[in-house]
Amino acid sequence: METQLNEKESLNLINEMISTARNNLQKGMGNIFLLWGYLVFAISLVNFILLVVLPQHVNHNSYFIWILMGLGYPVHYRLVTKIQIEKLVKTYVDKIMDQVWIAFSISIILVVIGMIGSSLLVMPAFTGVEKDFGFLHWFQWTLMTPFMLLLYGFALFISGKAYDFKPLVRGGIICWVASLFLILSVHHRYMPEIQQVTLAIASLFGFIIPGSILKKKEKENV
Amino acid sequence: MYNDLDPLLHSQLRLAVISILIGSEEADFVYLRKQTNASAGNLSVQIEKLREAGYITVIKDFKGRVPCTTCRITLKGVDAFEKYVKALQNYILIKK
Repeated sequence: METQLNEKESLNLINEMISTARNNLQKGMGNIFLLWGYLVFAISLVNFILLVVLPQHVNHNSYFIWILMGLGYPVHYRLVTKIQIEKLVKTYVDKIMDQVWIAFSISIILVVIGMIGSSLLVMPAFTGVEKDFGFLHWFQWTLMTPFMLLLYGFALFISGKAYDFKPLVRGGIICWVASLFLILSVHHRYMPEIQQVTLAIASLFGFIIPGSILKKKEKENV
Repeated sequence: MYNDLDPLLHSQLRLAVISILIGSEEADFVYLRKQTNASAGNLSVQIEKLREAGYITVIKDFKGRVPCTTCRITLKGVDAFEKYVKALQNYILIKK
């Protein structure tokens, strides 16, 4: 069956159909924000507590708790697979944002590899300098959290603007402010503790709050 | 009077499909059916016509274990759509 149109009907139809694939965040994204938000929030708080309660000469070992971030990947993979199965339309914004988050993940992994690598390779050349962090040079590790927060801010801000979702934009800005704050407080006596608390607050505003709002919105739209 | 309008696009369902695809990277058959309120049979026929004309590509795949059909607009399709809209605008201008 073919229905012929007049020119006005054609234009109305084009307008109506073009606006169907709106640039909403893909269904299920709320869970991904919550997953990483809660993980970072919990680990940074536990790290903070360990830094406070453990004796000073061993408390730098508490950073190894970040290995637990690896637990997020299998869950993340399952959530992404579920999104892809349920997704019926992919907009150009979805395509670009997928790439932004892939680039974000690569950047985070590179920062971690770079920090560990340079600590292991460069440190032997600086024997005798600051050894508060054992084999890890303090300078590289103190800048790691602000670095990560800069990347958080970057990805969250772009996502928020692309999908016109203000909680993400606000989260991104908070991560940037947190990053700047940590860079400025890098020489503070309680810098390690300050970093962990700031990271927890940033993950609350950058991931947990936007993720919760998103989930609520998803439920309302169903 | 509609001589300049591409007959392939100047049909309600095919124009609806192309309009959806012009605004998205790709769309599933189920999504197209939902948005256009068309029957599965009719939509299949119209999609096949667009595919034969080279306006869209149709990818048959599986999402998990469920078979799915995904459509994407081609450059030729984008070109045809642009020409169609231009012809439509000209027609409206002449009419005024």
